[in-house]
Amino acid sequence: MVDEYFSDLERWIERFEGVYTERPSWNLRESSIEPLREMSVTPREVLITVDLPFTSKDTVKIKAVGRSSLEITAKMNRTIRSVDLGIVHLKGVFEKYSSYLHVPVPVYMSKMTVKYKKGILEIRLPRKR
Amino acid sequence: MSEAVKIVENRKIPSGATLIFGFPDVGLVGIIAGSHIVDELKLEEVAYVESSLLPPLVVLHDGLPHSSIRVFGDGDLLVVLSEVPVPVEVIYPIMDALIEWGKAKNAKLMISLGGIPIQDRQDAKELKAFAAASSSAALKIAEDKQIEILTEGYMVGTQAILLQRGANNGVPSITLLAQCFYNYPDPEAAAEVLKQLGKITGIKTDIAKLLEKGEEIRLRARDVMKRTQEEMSKMKKPQEMDIPIYVS
Repeated sequence: MVDEYFSDLERWIERFEGVYTERPSWNLRESSIEPLREMSVTPREVLITVDLPFTSKDTVKIKAVGRSSLEITAKMNRTIRSVDLGIVHLKGVFEKYSSYLHVPVPVYMSKMTVKYKKGILEIRLPRKR
Repeated sequence: MSEAVKIVENRKIPSGATLIFGFPDVGLVGIIAGSHIVDELKLEEVAYVESSLLPPLVVLHDGLPHSSIRVFGDGDLLVVLSEVPVPVEVIYPIMDALIEWGKAKNAKLMISLGGIPIQDRQDAKELKAFAAASSSAALKIAEDKQIEILTEGYMVGTQAILLQRGANNGVPSITLLAQCFYNYPDPEAAAEVLKQLGKITGIKTDIAKLLEKGEEIRLRARDVMKRTQEEMSKMKKPQEMDIPIYVS
């Protein structure tokens, strides 16, 4: 009975996620694209990577928002037209990446370390004990 | 072939061709590599998959609708590309239809192109490639070209079905896998897999051109990668990283 309850809960959550969070990964009003990213939580740290093609390290900005969120932006080294990406029904350009993510466990934001290699940004956040 | 899945032919299909599969999977290695072959060799569409098992989706090119799964070919080469990930619920009927069709066309060899994810991929200085095959004879094709064999482990997805069916239907089948990112489009891994494909089949493509387009591919392929992540999660793709319980 408990298993059935949690299966129902999972299905309910999936339905809501589909309704409320499915949106394009691009935003012409803000000229931004949401990059691909990954987060993994280990016993010692939270590791976040972000795929940022057409950027360079000096244009990446990482801002801690409160104690548990990060805002990551990166300016592209070229302007990409919407039509170049196959978005032919709207005219506009993309100039940056923008991503907002929630860190699911308490971490020391002030002890963040950052690495950038070949357009892959790597952020490590030590976990609070 | 099941009635639920049809392979509709636009042109005469060459007999005895090599049939290559490039499907979205880890690192999108297969679809990136397969698309590069089609572009470089200017292969034309020769067939497509029609099935009500697939979602109600077409891909528009020049304003015209196309199936999301198409076969391109010329001479002795056929390349199956899927522009969207195959939903896990229909992966068996789709792959079975394509494999049976390939066998009916007397395909002499079937090869799937894909990736094998590694941790800290961004720090890798060079990428290794591996092969697994449906029979000892097919394995020897890869071994003779000094391609390292994936001797143990689990395989999940379209390449698993290809090997499984190849072992039963007698058509030599090989899967080529290059080390890659799990969740990011990986043109460098696609380039590595194309190098190995070239050794086996003699197919030559301009790898440098693929690498030059690398950032553009990574940008364009984001949404397909996200959709592929969803399907990989449903088919429990991470099981490929499990330690096998039994080692021969």
